[in-house]
Amino acid sequence: MKLFRKLPGYANIWSWLSLMIVVLILMPNITILLNFFTEKAENWGHIQEFILPDLLKNTSLLMVFTGVLSILIGTSLAWLVSAYDFPMKRFFKWALILPLAIPPYIAGYTYNGILNYTGVIQTTLRNQWGIEVDQKYFDILTLPGAVFIFTLFLFPYVYTITRAFLANQSASIVENARLLGRNAWEVYFRIVLPISRGAIVGGVSLVLLEVLNDYGLVQYFGVPTFSTAIFQTWFGMNDLTSAIKLSATLMFIVFGILILEKVLRGRKKYSYASAKVRPLTPVRLKGVKAWTAFSYAFVIFSLGFLIPFIQLVDWMFLTFDKIASPEFTSLLTNSLLVSFVGAAMIVVFAVIIANFARMHQSIVSKSAARVTILGYSIPGAVIAVGISTVFIQIDQWLFGFYDWVGMDPTLVLSTSLFMLISAYVIRFLAIGYNSIESGFDKVGHQFTEASRMLGMNVTQTFFKVDARMIRGSLISGFILAFIEILKELPLTLILRPFNFDTLSTKAFQYASDEQIHEASLASIIIVIISGIAIYIFHQVLEKEPN
Amino acid sequence: MYIQIKDLCFRYGNSKMNTIRNFNLSVNQGQIVSILGESGSGKSTILRLLCGLETPSQGVISIGGKTVTDDRSFVLPEKRGIGMVFQDYALFPHMTVAENIQFGLKGFGRKAKKQRVEEVLDLVNMKDFSKRYPHELSGGQQQRIALARALAPKPSLLLLDEPFSNLDADLQIKIRSELRDIIKKTGITSIFVTHDREDSKAIADRIITMRDGSAYDWDSICTIKSEFPEEQPMTIS
Ligand SMILES: Nc1ncnc2c1ncn2[C@@H]1O[C@H](COP(=O)(O)OP(=O)(O)OP(=O)(O)O)[C@@H](O)[C@H]1O
Ligand SMILES: [Mg+2]
Repeated sequence: MKLFRKLPGYANIWSWLSLMIVVLILMPNITILLNFFTEKAENWGHIQEFILPDLLKNTSLLMVFTGVLSILIGTSLAWLVSAYDFPMKRFFKWALILPLAIPPYIAGYTYNGILNYTGVIQTTLRNQWGIEVDQKYFDILTLPGAVFIFTLFLFPYVYTITRAFLANQSASIVENARLLGRNAWEVYFRIVLPISRGAIVGGVSLVLLEVLNDYGLVQYFGVPTFSTAIFQTWFGMNDLTSAIKLSATLMFIVFGILILEKVLRGRKKYSYASAKVRPLTPVRLKGVKAWTAFSYAFVIFSLGFLIPFIQLVDWMFLTFDKIASPEFTSLLTNSLLVSFVGAAMIVVFAVIIANFARMHQSIVSKSAARVTILGYSIPGAVIAVGISTVFIQIDQWLFGFYDWVGMDPTLVLSTSLFMLISAYVIRFLAIGYNSIESGFDKVGHQFTEASRMLGMNVTQTFFKVDARMIRGSLISGFILAFIEILKELPLTLILRPFNFDTLSTKAFQYASDEQIHEASLASIIIVIISGIAIYIFHQVLEKEPN
Repeated sequence: MYIQIKDLCFRYGNSKMNTIRNFNLSVNQGQIVSILGESGSGKSTILRLLCGLETPSQGVISIGGKTVTDDRSFVLPEKRGIGMVFQDYALFPHMTVAENIQFGLKGFGRKAKKQRVEEVLDLVNMKDFSKRYPHELSGGQQQRIALARALAPKPSLLLLDEPFSNLDADLQIKIRSELRDIIKKTGITSIFVTHDREDSKAIADRIITMRDGSAYDWDSICTIKSEFPEEQPMTIS
């Protein structure tokens, strides 16, 4: 009975499209999980015995050390910037997010180029002072080296989320603690860290997911992890089934992290929207303290952005004439093309699901929203395995059709750009979704309802009212997704059509072929575009509350 | 009976108890009915159920002889031909006054649209404001535009949710009688919700009191007491 009342509300195009998108996202993931339990793989026994323990050990070490160090750096900087005034603080506030503009694989080969035998440090020491150093102190291509890079270039996830929390939510608690006579360190360790637990957990789980997603850095540094092992079994041993089993194992680790995050975060979400947001009033630091704070922020900023950036610019000038060619222009076009199409599709899909979820506050729509966000947690290599399996299957079903329309019955879909872009959509849909959902939240339901009372149906209302009102969120969702696709490496490496290169794949190839300098032009374009986006977002975010 | 609501029950997804419990109400054509009740008694919810923005779990609603909600059918809000003035007006901020009013005029020709906009603006005495944006209007002016927008498509039923809640006291008294005149001029059946007795007395032909999701009827205004009655909910005809 209830069903008949509810049904008309669901019977529109938004529900059908949402259903389709959810299926598209679930299919590759479910394929992987199913195959884990059913298919037999020739090398799986061998992998389990000889490779898996190593992978687990490396992955755990990377996660634990990167996690702990990111928390230390991220929260301390967040606290410093929220609670104190010191020289150039306004600049550091957003500049400390900039390390995110440099993807870890680019940071990795840049640092290697700085530190190795022919790098700027060693040559200066040799030529100026005649000092020959022991190479082992300058070898960054190790597991600790990878931790160093991951930490420096991923800590901003912890920094931004914690800072947002501290700036808006902590004023009364912190001020009370100060009034009760606690000194700065006590306030930090006994008040700030415990109350920001939710924010820290949220930030650090993003860091860990990025570590698991990474392929470029660990491959370059020679630290075997799941991503490299998936590549290795799939393309090196030609054993897709084992690659699927590795992927499934990695997925279980991801689910573990997500569950742990839920548990640790506790019942409260880290950004509860309290009606009255009172900003924390910063204390002005003087003298030595002010310069200590400045130096700390400056060192992290230099290591995480300035130094690698200057080095890349330097190499770019060295190699510009050689690299800037029509061929390079086509790389650039490719990159911009896939990023544009991918981001546009992400925005469209995200809008469909967000609007559906908003219209029906039901279990169905909530699950749809959950699934949408799922992709962002799944490492690129896993999505790549899943989506190729699905596409190859579809191609095989379509062989008859290809034959019938007079094409060669070969793999059509699974070698096309279409597959790569679908993979981007699955992996980054969450980014567009979050942006658009928060836009809808801000606007509320009243205008939509007013429009429907004036005789417009859901779709007309969307185009005439909703879309106009959330325009800002649509644009920011698009830009964020665009940047992520531009930086993306593992998915692109695996799924790109033959001979199709993007800035990121080319940069990685140059670096892997020991042509670090040649990789700089492609890298610097990625870094600059991402950096500009970060700058714009910081400006927008800072202005918004007023 | 122009509007019939029978045994209506409704519960919000996240609450345990029914917000609306066996609500019954009938309204004659052309009548102005006021629903009076404390905050949280379910007044807004009744209006949302009437216009189809929420789906009841049980009960029947018919408007003008046509069933819009029962066990087998549900007419979508945009198909019900109901006009609504929202508590916070919900004027589209990206459209001018004229565009806001035109919004609901589907199937009108260009000229007819323009003419209708002028008519309703005239009705609410806001002729000179058609080019303004909502944020360039005062609270009282916004309210009149919201009313004009709701009336423009000639709905068969007009719902008003606390139309005065955003106005200061002086303005409220002034607009009260004006509102009654405008509605009476159009002859439209109206239901309006308020928690202010004076509003009800000034505008309504008939007052319904709501408590805990059910209705109590008072046929004449002078019998309103300061206390709510203790009887069971009853069916009103
Ligand atoms: N979207 C919602 N979800 C859950 N509960 C709701 C929702 N909207 C209203 N309620 C609850 O339903 C009950 C009735 O709300 P309603 O808005 O109909 O009251 P009201 O009589 O209009 O009050 P007011 O005079 O304050 O506007 C209240 O207890 C309220 O908390
Ligand atoms: Mg209300």
